[in-house]
Amino acid sequence: MHYPFWDQPIGYGVLMAVIAVFHVFVSHFAIGGGLYLVVNEHLARRDGDTARLAFLEKLSKFFAMVTLVAGALTGVGIWFVIGLLAPAATEALIHNYVWGWATEWTFFVVEIAAAMLYFYGWKRVTAKAHLTLGWIYFVAAWLSLVVINGILTFMLTPGRWLVTGDFWQGFFNPTYWPSLVLRTGVCVMLAGLYALLVASRLAAGDFKARTVRQAAGWAVVGLAVTALAQAWYWKAIPAEVTARALETMPTSVRAIVLSLWLAAALGAVGVALVILAPRRFGTAAALAFMALGMAWFGAFEWSRESLRKPYILTGYMYGNGAEVALTAAYRRDGFLPQITFRTGDDGADLFRHACRSCHTLDGYKALRPGLAGADRAYLLALVQGAHLLRGNMPPFLGTPREAGLIADHLYQRTDHRPLGAIYQVEGLALGRRAYDLRCGKCHAVGTASDKAKSLAGQSAEDLSGMLDMASSLGEGMPAYTGDAAERKALVAYLQTLGQGGKP
Amino acid sequence: MTLPDYRFISAPLWLVTILHLLTLTLHLAAMSCLLGGTLIALWAGVRKQWSAPDAAGLARVLPAATAATVSLGVAPLLFLQLVYPRQVYAATIVSGWFWLAVIGAVIMAYYAFYRTSFQAHRTGQVSLGLLALAALGLLYTSLVYSSVFALAEQPDLLRALYAKDQSGWVWNPALGAYGLRWLHVVLGALTVGGFFVSVLGRKSPAMAATGRAAFVGGMAAAAAMGFLYLVSLDTYLGPYMRTPAMPVLLLALALALAALHLHSRKRFGLSGLCLFLSLLGMVYLRHVLRLVRLRGSFDLAAWRIAPQWSPFLLFLVCFILMLVVLVWMARLFFRSEPDA
Repeated sequence: MHYPFWDQPIGYGVLMAVIAVFHVFVSHFAIGGGLYLVVNEHLARRDGDTARLAFLEKLSKFFAMVTLVAGALTGVGIWFVIGLLAPAATEALIHNYVWGWATEWTFFVVEIAAAMLYFYGWKRVTAKAHLTLGWIYFVAAWLSLVVINGILTFMLTPGRWLVTGDFWQGFFNPTYWPSLVLRTGVCVMLAGLYALLVASRLAAGDFKARTVRQAAGWAVVGLAVTALAQAWYWKAIPAEVTARALETMPTSVRAIVLSLWLAAALGAVGVALVILAPRRFGTAAALAFMALGMAWFGAFEWSRESLRKPYILTGYMYGNGAEVALTAAYRRDGFLPQITFRTGDDGADLFRHACRSCHTLDGYKALRPGLAGADRAYLLALVQGAHLLRGNMPPFLGTPREAGLIADHLYQRTDHRPLGAIYQVEGLALGRRAYDLRCGKCHAVGTASDKAKSLAGQSAEDLSGMLDMASSLGEGMPAYTGDAAERKALVAYLQTLGQGGKP
Repeated sequence: MTLPDYRFISAPLWLVTILHLLTLTLHLAAMSCLLGGTLIALWAGVRKQWSAPDAAGLARVLPAATAATVSLGVAPLLFLQLVYPRQVYAATIVSGWFWLAVIGAVIMAYYAFYRTSFQAHRTGQVSLGLLALAALGLLYTSLVYSSVFALAEQPDLLRALYAKDQSGWVWNPALGAYGLRWLHVVLGALTVGGFFVSVLGRKSPAMAATGRAAFVGGMAAAAAMGFLYLVSLDTYLGPYMRTPAMPVLLLALALALAALHLHSRKRFGLSGLCLFLSLLGMVYLRHVLRLVRLRGSFDLAAWRIAPQWSPFLLFLVCFILMLVVLVWMARLFFRSEPDA
């Protein structure tokens, strides 16, 4: 709240993902690729395998270009982006972990210097010196992961730090070790995938077959380590966090399921490549395999990020930068006194600081389409009951007046004609729209909070009566404030849900 | 449960300040070699002053200079964000798109340097177009840094700009507060770049002469620009004069002149040391000026100090190890001969 809000139209999640996902791939590849290069160089020199040495030299050129330039700078890019998108959380992390970051920086400097010397050293230094430089590179790169992993996992599972504020308790938090093993496995896997891509461009023959088999082996071993560590990681996360995610975040759950399927597909293809060791292995196939690996890793990272919701620092700071420790002050005095940079439009300022970290009006996680047809009273109820909605949202901690200002802000920017007029629908189609607007924000069909079964056997009168007393049915349930036509259609739709979705 | 408060500095302020100033000087030294070296190479290329092998020789070291600049730039920004988060984040957010574009500009410059370097290695020729592209990326980056960090020192302007526009497309309009400063930085880079080129090309009369000219000319121009900047401080000048800034300024100037003198005697090592210390002095002056400009809105002494000694010791050990490993690797690289 002490910072200006960057009101850009793309959406924070998308902007972060664009830079972070790319960096995460490159940075893991930078570690695994270093290990792949140096291990294979060692084997090639031992065996006097000049073809492999030539292959590795070629591999190292692209490797250096990707890791030194794109890897290093997108790493800085993430730092820039988190400072722009979540300055309060970044500030909190830097104050707690500045010496962790500074230590990581020392490894980063060595990593960069060693990578350059390794790359330029192929024909300039002795074999022993070259291998030494390669090992220094790999060790420095991996140690950089060892450090940054502590800060990254802290964000999801700060553990005892929440009580003691102790650096080491936060650093070696409950998910530190499984995450380190998992990410090390990912590094090895990505190195294998990349080596496959380069190998796919080799001339068909025995050397190519050997290289493909070996690279696929790296991918499979890396994946196996990762799969085991992923189970360990999941168990290390506090049960209430995973349970909450499974219950309220259907998209994230789908991402987890997708990641498992992708991992299985990746493993199957990798094993097939090891067994078949094709003398011909095309670039398109290698690219597809690489894409599969990246999709898997992307799905995993996405689900990991989602698990943290509604927090950006679990138990400490919400995704919108509101501090858990200041809850009482927010409730008493409101958000506005805490917002240092004001524009003169309190509703807009509150909307930015309370909602815009995740939502845009028309783009990513758009509010305007989802709230079309809502009346002001319902919008107010949504703001005040935000923490009860689907998606694990943070609670609105400001005063009732401030909630009203946000509701006004949204009401002025949404279409509040009747749903039938907005979507040109009637009957069950209208009922479905009414359900999506007034019930589905919490009780999405097919999710853990789906209440369709409880509607079975209820008459239209029963359901209409239920809508009349909606606000007394449970914590945060808003009163039904739609018009009569929508009510009638909604009741009809609820009846079909009670019958298992069959009209 | 009482949650830990993150508003603290995890080491004594003097220690953080020393680390900040030292790492920033290292970063600026590398950046100046890179930016100054690039501008000089462009100048020499356009005027066809150097032989192709001379130009190629410089082109081949620019990627390494970029790597050094980027990696040495991380630590000072980290320490800056530690002590001045409210100012730094606010300014970067208001100019968000320009700030973020720095990453793209540096990536572009970096790839341009690599491309030029490979080309120089392969053909012996240097592409002036690529060098110009890289120079543009670096100049943009330095201009954004000057603009954003000047904005960070103007909290009232920052608030007023944000109230009008929240899109992140705000460019600092107070050109007077950073235009001269930016020119001073660029001319300073030309000075250090001149030193760098003259030492790198000491065996080539043409390269050494260009480097020397940039070293001497850049220093004179940077001094003049620095003086103009000082005068432009207006109401801040009085309070600034009452800080330890003036003796340090005189010392930094004396060191710069000593660097020139030693350079003319071809005592490059000592000359470089004087130049580095002079740069350190300038960085200190910059630090003092920031505090003067922030008076009334920010007080360093208000920070709660809660040292984290064991993580700091780990950092210190790793920092020393880093220096040892860097020196050791450089010796390994430059003293090793390829296998027969």
